[in-house]
Amino acid sequence: MQGVLAVFPQLDAVCDAIRDLKARKVPKVTVYSPTIHHEIDDAIDAPTSVVRVFTLIGASLGVTFGYWVSIWSSQYWPLQVGGKAIASWIPYTIMGFEMFVMVGCLSTVAGMFINAQIPRLVTNFGYDARFTHGDYGIWIETTPDKFAELEATLKSHGAVEVRGER
Amino acid sequence: MATTAKPVQGKIKRPNIPSAGIQVPAVSSFEQVDDEILATLKPSSKWFMGLGLAIAAMLVGASAWTYQIYWGLGNAGYVPPVMWGVYIITFVFWVGIGHAGTLISAILYLFRAGFRTTIYRASEAMTVFAVMTAGLFPIIHIGRPWKFFLLIPYPNWRLLFPQFKSPLLWDVFAISTYLTISTTFLYLGLIPDFAVMRDKETNPIRKRIFAMLSLGWKNTDREWRHFAKMYMFLAAFSTPLVLSVHSVVSFDFAMALTPGWHTTIFPPYFVGGAIFSGFAMVWTILIPIRKWWNLEHYVTLNHLDATAKVVLFTSIMVGSGYLSEFFIAWFSGVAPEQEYFWNRVFGQWWWAGWILLLCNMIFPLSLFSQKLRRNPTWLFILSIIINIGMWYERFVIVVPSLSHEFEPWQWTHYTPSWIDMCFLVGSFGWFFMWFLLFIKQMPVIAIAEVKEIVPPKMKNDHGGHH
Repeated sequence: MQGVLAVFPQLDAVCDAIRDLKARKVPKVTVYSPTIHHEIDDAIDAPTSVVRVFTLIGASLGVTFGYWVSIWSSQYWPLQVGGKAIASWIPYTIMGFEMFVMVGCLSTVAGMFINAQIPRLVTNFGYDARFTHGDYGIWIETTPDKFAELEATLKSHGAVEVRGER
Repeated sequence: MATTAKPVQGKIKRPNIPSAGIQVPAVSSFEQVDDEILATLKPSSKWFMGLGLAIAAMLVGASAWTYQIYWGLGNAGYVPPVMWGVYIITFVFWVGIGHAGTLISAILYLFRAGFRTTIYRASEAMTVFAVMTAGLFPIIHIGRPWKFFLLIPYPNWRLLFPQFKSPLLWDVFAISTYLTISTTFLYLGLIPDFAVMRDKETNPIRKRIFAMLSLGWKNTDREWRHFAKMYMFLAAFSTPLVLSVHSVVSFDFAMALTPGWHTTIFPPYFVGGAIFSGFAMVWTILIPIRKWWNLEHYVTLNHLDATAKVVLFTSIMVGSGYLSEFFIAWFSGVAPEQEYFWNRVFGQWWWAGWILLLCNMIFPLSLFSQKLRRNPTWLFILSIIINIGMWYERFVIVVPSLSHEFEPWQWTHYTPSWIDMCFLVGSFGWFFMWFLLFIKQMPVIAIAEVKEIVPPKMKNDHGGHH
């Protein structure tokens, strides 16, 4: 993997650079930010996260499992209590709810991990430790022949450091 | 995480500013956030002293458990029919303490309450350790802790399964779900902070550990986008979970026909009480932390003021629950119910009943005073009073009901044994040991989230552009 990494100290500078890169249709741009900023979200204009699909699937499977395990095991080992039906759906709603929450949450986390591509083993390429501290960054995956042009663009928007990595 | 930040609201006219607009005006840059919060990780003599005390208390409980396992459950002070005592009281107490953390991190997140930002990490950690503490007590209570696995519905050679209509089994599911989700919530919120620690760490071994814990987090737009969505869903799941867990715990009582227990008011009354005691514990741990680690400009008087309003509200809610119980007992015309409630305040258990009413209904009324709401010393004292009151609330629910049931020949007394009291002390030791270890290894205030409410640097920097 090779590309250009730029460091910006200011939020509006990085947003301007993102908009410019979008206007020029530069592909494979990654933006770094020490925290979430709506200004960056607006500039990137990324599609809505698909994590919700994982949530829906996980929560549906969880609630189904919660009811199923209670009903199946009650019928397998029937215990008559207080004249209630062997499979009483009202008390089993608690199992359904707890499994709904548990599996729904864990599948949401799995969805985040898959989509955000973590855990990741290597962080030292196309990255700078300043991005967790206070600075913003842009990484553009590209070929060395475009380095000079991109460096000029990024510096024109206020990048304090631009370096090619290969 | 994310989008809790709000612009600073106009000019502040009075100290009693609306909770949702609370910010940290004395924090001006991301570098300051990193430096000041990470400075709390350096061990100090006060921390070592606190940890030593906590471990000593924990060992008291561990010794009592060893003694009880060897000599049997007869040492627990149970007198038939009072076969639930300090263990179940303390279990309910710690589950209740655990409520504030998820309420702060999930419900206040969904409500966009600004005052949660700097207090939620400590509260979440408190939740995890409180639920870990609570979870020990049913295991202690069954007497043979190695048989605990029988509560879990796993396929086994005997083809036996637990009774899914039993509130005790609902508890197993509720508490284990709550512990799993609270721990997940705590860990996921820590990932961006682990990345900060990884990048600032110079010791290669610690750096490697933080690199593993941060899962290679790089603060990319892709990570933040999915992270924010995930966080919102987790908060949305955790909100009903918070309400359900203590409702399920209340079913342990409300599903029984015992006088004082068999009432539909229990779920909201338990949830209100749990939030009430949980917030009090947040004060117990946060007020010394903000003082000793110079974090008073992160956890400001405005934050304490806002939490005090929650405590006041929940105190009134719990107080209404107490009064409603008396009314319902009178209005129902059921003699054992009326007898139980009379016994609670004017009979055998009057002292416990009045401790409960004074600590949970009367003292918190002081929070109508803005001056007291903004006085950390008073809030700390009040937090201890409230937690004593809330332990007694559970005592009053468990013991007087069981010792004064339908049959007069069964009426009896109950005094906790020294083993019971050792377990109570041990539970505090266990809780504080984990909490103190946590605050020296991980940031007690969420670094990445505080950065959301700090104005970022701009080309033409006027501040407050966020």
